[in-house]
Amino acid sequence: MISFGHVNKYYGDFHVLKDIDLTIKTGEVVVIIGPSGSGKSTLLRCINRLETITDGSLTVKDVHLNDKKTDINKVRRKIGMVFQHFNLYPHKTVLENIMLAPINALGISKEEAKKTAEFYLDKVGIPDKATSFPSQLSGGQQQRVAIARGLAMKPEIMLFDEPTSALDPEMVGEVLDVMKALAEEGMTMVVVTHEMGFAKEVGDRIVFIDQGKILEEAAPVEFFENPKEERAQVFLSRILNH
Amino acid sequence: MDFLGAFTPDNLIFLLKGFYVTLKVAFISIIFSFIIGGALGTIRFTKIPIVSNIAAVLVETIRNLPLLLIILFTYFALPEIGINLGITVSAIVALTIFESAMLAEIVRGGLISIEKGQMEAARSSGLSYIQALRLVILPQALRRMVPNLVSQFISLLKDTSLAVVIALPELLHHAKIIQAQELSYVIPIFLLIALMYFVVNFALSLIAKRLELKSA
Ligand SMILES: Nc1ncnc2c1ncn2[C@@H]1O[C@H](COP(=O)(O)OP(=O)(O)O)[C@@H](O)[C@H]1O
Ligand SMILES: [Mg+2]
Repeated sequence: MISFGHVNKYYGDFHVLKDIDLTIKTGEVVVIIGPSGSGKSTLLRCINRLETITDGSLTVKDVHLNDKKTDINKVRRKIGMVFQHFNLYPHKTVLENIMLAPINALGISKEEAKKTAEFYLDKVGIPDKATSFPSQLSGGQQQRVAIARGLAMKPEIMLFDEPTSALDPEMVGEVLDVMKALAEEGMTMVVVTHEMGFAKEVGDRIVFIDQGKILEEAAPVEFFENPKEERAQVFLSRILNH
Repeated sequence: MDFLGAFTPDNLIFLLKGFYVTLKVAFISIIFSFIIGGALGTIRFTKIPIVSNIAAVLVETIRNLPLLLIILFTYFALPEIGINLGITVSAIVALTIFESAMLAEIVRGGLISIEKGQMEAARSSGLSYIQALRLVILPQALRRMVPNLVSQFISLLKDTSLAVVIALPELLHHAKIIQAQELSYVIPIFLLIALMYFVVNFALSLIAKRLELKSA
């Protein structure tokens, strides 16, 4: 589904992603963890070309993202993205937030988009907030709307960049529950998170990245019980004793 | 001083006619400069090579010229190269050129002020850059710009009086004609036209405050 081959990325002189090799299969839930500034967001954002790679090859569904002929908007329609700070459109209601891309990027009718929006709003557990504005919602509710907004495009891949890091602790659970349900339905997911409970329970594979390099890649049980890399051990002890 | 003597019906009607021209010229210039300035500001914001640079050069050049110079140039210099616009159109063209540059900067500032995440969310959902701009960024930016836009409109309305130098029959011009008839009219007429400018501009700024509260 997603395939990184010897991907490097620089910001000017700064080598932010180093020789990334990573393949993500359909239906897989891959959790990316690592210290702050290690390149997790950058890696994730390359998948929908919010960041371009400097060299190497990166394909999504066999489409080369760094090929000039690639219609990136078409690729992006298949990839939902959920951000740390939700990034809902504040001037639009919850329903309008969810309907915007289906109507304008997919070209489906308003009625149809509304039905889809209501379906996914129901799915994330806040059908009663359809006519609210984002500012009237709690952080947890906003993030669930953001997930519904992504799902309304019927994507094949969902990307999550620290979806619970900006939330008050009591709201983390409600968002993780939605993500867990999504994973159980077989969605291909790439998740950057510091929620180790989620990673262990829902992840099919853990990717540990430090200073732009993938240092370890393993099944959750293996990674958490027996991390091979010293830096992964240090990272885990720090985050788990926190 | 014969204060009330200045306010003869004829004089008042003459002033109102002048004020009508002021408002008309200002209104037309506002419409044109909003369209042109909006386009220039947006183009400059997009950073599209060349086009965006041209917009930047235009805006920066005009913004750094005195409006009075632009008015005089339009009316006195353009005819030398065969473009004869007449008084009213010259005034409208000059005001539009100048205000477009001012509004372009306000529009660009409004666009810049929108968080980067908005564009990222819109683009990552598969919308094109133009769609993201039109559906997500511009509507939010416009709301944020309202106070600055209105205060620029107020400036424009006041700046219309500069066209007195090309004898545009606007409020200040008419006031000067009346004052020339009778020395004792000078102060009362000045006070009256000051009141007229004030009432309209103050009303505009009140409306702006209202809009601001609503969109907050
Ligand atoms: N646009 C940018 N320009 C320059 N450096 C950047 C940019 N974005 C991120 N970086 C740097 O790249 C590194 C990795 O960033 P990021 O991928 O956001 O890390 P993480 O998500 O793991 O915290 C950081 O050192 C960050 O400062
Ligand atoms: Mg990050």
